[in-house]
Amino acid sequence: MSYPSHLNRAGWLEYFNDMHKPLFICVGLLGLIGVMVLYSVAGGDFSPWAWRHGIRIIGGLGLVYALSTVELRTFYVLAYPLFGLVFILLVGVEIFGSKNMGAQRWLDLGFVRLQPSEFMRLALVLALARFYHGMHQNHVSHPLNLIAPLAMIAAPCLLVLNQPDLGTSIMIAVTGLSVVFLAGVNLRYFMAGTVAIIAAIPVVWQNMLTYQKERVLVFLNPERDPLGAGYHIIQSKIGIGSGGVFGKGLAQGTQSQLNFLPERHTDFIFSNFAEEMGFTGSLALLVLFILTLFFIFRIANQMRYPFSRLAVASMGFSISIYVIVNLAMVMGLAPVVGVPLPFVSYGGTSLLTFMASIGVILAMERQTTADLPK
Amino acid sequence: MALFENESGLFSRRLFALGGMQASLFALLAGRLQYLQISQSDDYATLAEANRVNISELLPARGIITDRNGVLLADNDRKLLVELVPEQAKDLDNTLAELQEHLGLSNARVRELRRRIKRGPSFKAVQIAEDVDWDAFAAINLRLPFLPGVSPRVGEKRVYPEGETLAHVVGYVGDKTAADLRRMGRIVGDTVGRSGAEREFERDLRGTAGVRHVEVNARGRTVRELETNPGQPGQSMALSIDVALQRFVTERLAGHSGSAVVMDIESGELLAMASVPSFDPNDFSRGVDARTWEKMLVAERKPLLNKAIRGQYSPGSTFKMLVALAALEDGLVKADDEVTCSGVYSFSGELFHCWREDGHGPMNMMQAIESSCDTYFYDLALKVGINRIEAMARRFGFGSPTGINLMGEKSGTVPGRDWKRANYDAGWRSGETVITGIGQGYLLTTPLQLGVMTAALANGGKLVTPTLLNTQDAPPQAPRIGVTPENLAVIQQGMYRAVNKPEGTAYASSLLIDGQRMSGKTGTVQVRRISMVEREEGVIPNSELDWHLRDHALFVGYVPHDAPRYAISVVIEHGGGGGQVAAPMARDIMVQLLRSQASPQAASSAPSQERS
Repeated sequence: MSYPSHLNRAGWLEYFNDMHKPLFICVGLLGLIGVMVLYSVAGGDFSPWAWRHGIRIIGGLGLVYALSTVELRTFYVLAYPLFGLVFILLVGVEIFGSKNMGAQRWLDLGFVRLQPSEFMRLALVLALARFYHGMHQNHVSHPLNLIAPLAMIAAPCLLVLNQPDLGTSIMIAVTGLSVVFLAGVNLRYFMAGTVAIIAAIPVVWQNMLTYQKERVLVFLNPERDPLGAGYHIIQSKIGIGSGGVFGKGLAQGTQSQLNFLPERHTDFIFSNFAEEMGFTGSLALLVLFILTLFFIFRIANQMRYPFSRLAVASMGFSISIYVIVNLAMVMGLAPVVGVPLPFVSYGGTSLLTFMASIGVILAMERQTTADLPK
Repeated sequence: MALFENESGLFSRRLFALGGMQASLFALLAGRLQYLQISQSDDYATLAEANRVNISELLPARGIITDRNGVLLADNDRKLLVELVPEQAKDLDNTLAELQEHLGLSNARVRELRRRIKRGPSFKAVQIAEDVDWDAFAAINLRLPFLPGVSPRVGEKRVYPEGETLAHVVGYVGDKTAADLRRMGRIVGDTVGRSGAEREFERDLRGTAGVRHVEVNARGRTVRELETNPGQPGQSMALSIDVALQRFVTERLAGHSGSAVVMDIESGELLAMASVPSFDPNDFSRGVDARTWEKMLVAERKPLLNKAIRGQYSPGSTFKMLVALAALEDGLVKADDEVTCSGVYSFSGELFHCWREDGHGPMNMMQAIESSCDTYFYDLALKVGINRIEAMARRFGFGSPTGINLMGEKSGTVPGRDWKRANYDAGWRSGETVITGIGQGYLLTTPLQLGVMTAALANGGKLVTPTLLNTQDAPPQAPRIGVTPENLAVIQQGMYRAVNKPEGTAYASSLLIDGQRMSGKTGTVQVRRISMVEREEGVIPNSELDWHLRDHALFVGYVPHDAPRYAISVVIEHGGGGGQVAAPMARDIMVQLLRSQASPQAASSAPSQERS
């Protein structure tokens, strides 16, 4: 454990040589694909999205690199304070946040608008991993030891749900629960939880907003409202399907170029990609994601400390859930829940969060033998 | 450091479980991709193409119709109309109320519209009003953002500048119906020729539709044009009609119920074909309301009927030429053979009266035609026999359509032994031959058939096919009937005398311009039976009878006598005597025709000039 206390040029390079480069490269490639698709979506123009996305990817990769040099101990120490800070920001959104598209998600700091709900996933994972770190396996499943983690998950979830942002709320919950699951909590709790959720569905349905109910209903039958809510799903499927084996070529997708695709630079970016790159391109993108996740999970399995392995695995899991839900949504397999495609979709905060996750993962990967308290 | 170990592999097992779940989900996604992009790719490609490309039909302009001199008879005009797609209207009641206010629709019209909206499919546009005035049209356009589903557009309408004058000839167009679609297959546009030339020449006038493919974005706005096939506009047609003459004919016949046909004896071109009373085809192209239609249908004088081709009348004395010709052709009599008319002819116990009660005295064939002696033809008919009369009538085109191909043309009736057997299940009686000899009885002809007969008598025995097309460039060759010129000359001489000799039944109508003479034959057809009692007390004159009991007045003729070019037939229903009513009309029409041929300012209407 001979890490330099201050960073010089040689030190930076040293870190690079030491880094898990395949993961770094995969993420860079995904970001590059995002730039390419955004260029195409704009009708073959780097503005308004592609160049900004490119800058963000470069900045994001810089952040990854910077975070990967941070000492493991620092994450460990800052886990709870970070969680507390993000939680306060979430409350701040509740009070001061600006309304956007009918939901209160943004915190306008003047120079940048932040979406604290995105950061919450990262903060929560670190906090929960910190919580389970050092706890003996025999105590993990003790009912009293369930109260704190469940509260840590439920509190931000309820705040985000109140924005209202069902999609992100579910993502936070699933990510948090994945830490609990990986920590080894007795499966009986999960079974009981599943039963409880199924029992709760009627109650939740009653309390859902009309547009949320409509989204679910339309998901179950898109033709229910072909010009309204089902339009997105139908047009997206047409876009993907009409791509065929080899696609229509970059910036040649009629569905997106002619505005038939909704949100085509954010949530529905894959429709555009699949239309223009075809089955071969889509499959390649899928493989790239699988490769990224494979690296992350392999890293998780090699970690020595519970803190690291729980955090890495859960952050990987969180990314994979985003990918799966987003792709399922645009292919008509899941309701439209407003989830971006990691690294590819245009958008600041979510990209920042995914990049930060990768940075933390790479930092942990390097420091398998760091000095952590029990 | 047991605490830091991966306790009994629990973490790995759970991580493996999570990873496995995700792997299966990714497999599911890959499967879905395969399904969308490979299995169903063609379907989605079609859908994308349908999304992208908006195919609109370009309606061809309907061909215009002119007369032989280029005068417009049917033209296209713009009309402003307002349509409503019911399913796109947010609030149908409010929308209708506002449209009613702008367009000044009656409450009854709105109720009718409601009914149509309820009955029809909700995605189909319903026409709210047409021929909307500009102010209302502009007002609705301004209000459009608040009237979803309403579409004001510019359509085409057919206008007929000559109105009633040529209603039966030019016809009119109407909204297409399911029956039209069955008859003609797919029809582009909303209207289709309903009658007259509009119907007859529908295929030429219509043209072919063009297609425009445009790429549209999600809002339906055109991004760029992909390909356009402008289609083929309808062919313009020049009819054989001379509209100046047609106008004159219509005016000359005004007040009567009947028809007149003027035809080129060589080409069969119809220079005029009038049927009175008439109607305004512009009313029909606008869409006539049910009540007016009913009224026209049941009117006594049948304005909707083109009497020139659909009216069937006994030819009366105008048929006598064919009886005479049949006799001469078979050598049964000589033209000079005389028959003495005493005013009444007795045959097998029945008395047949000549129109002249005191008789004509001795008559040869020319004289008999000149003064239309019935007795001579009673006698001649019996000598010739019904078989020969029937054959000659058929050779001159009676009993079958003339070939003009206008919808609803009647064939008329040529009676004979077989015909009687088939229709009445009775044998032919000789008495019936007698009255057939003067063109009465079962015999029925249309005015157009009479015109064709007259043309054949004038042109040396060629059976022309009458046509509404201007065929000056390539006059068709008419088949020869096969009668000898010498015999025809006898008939022509008789017809000349009928108009130009003092004893002639149409002498009052002889015309004298530049020495050109008309030849012709009158016909007066009884439509009622005159009883013995009435004959003794004196036959009631037409002027004292109810209109529908009066005689039909007929005249057929041709000009000029020595070098025939034009034939005419006039039939005035219940008009009275052919010599008093029909012949003067024919004379006036022929004078007008010959004058227009001769006068320099009307030179352009000379048929000899090559114009189309």
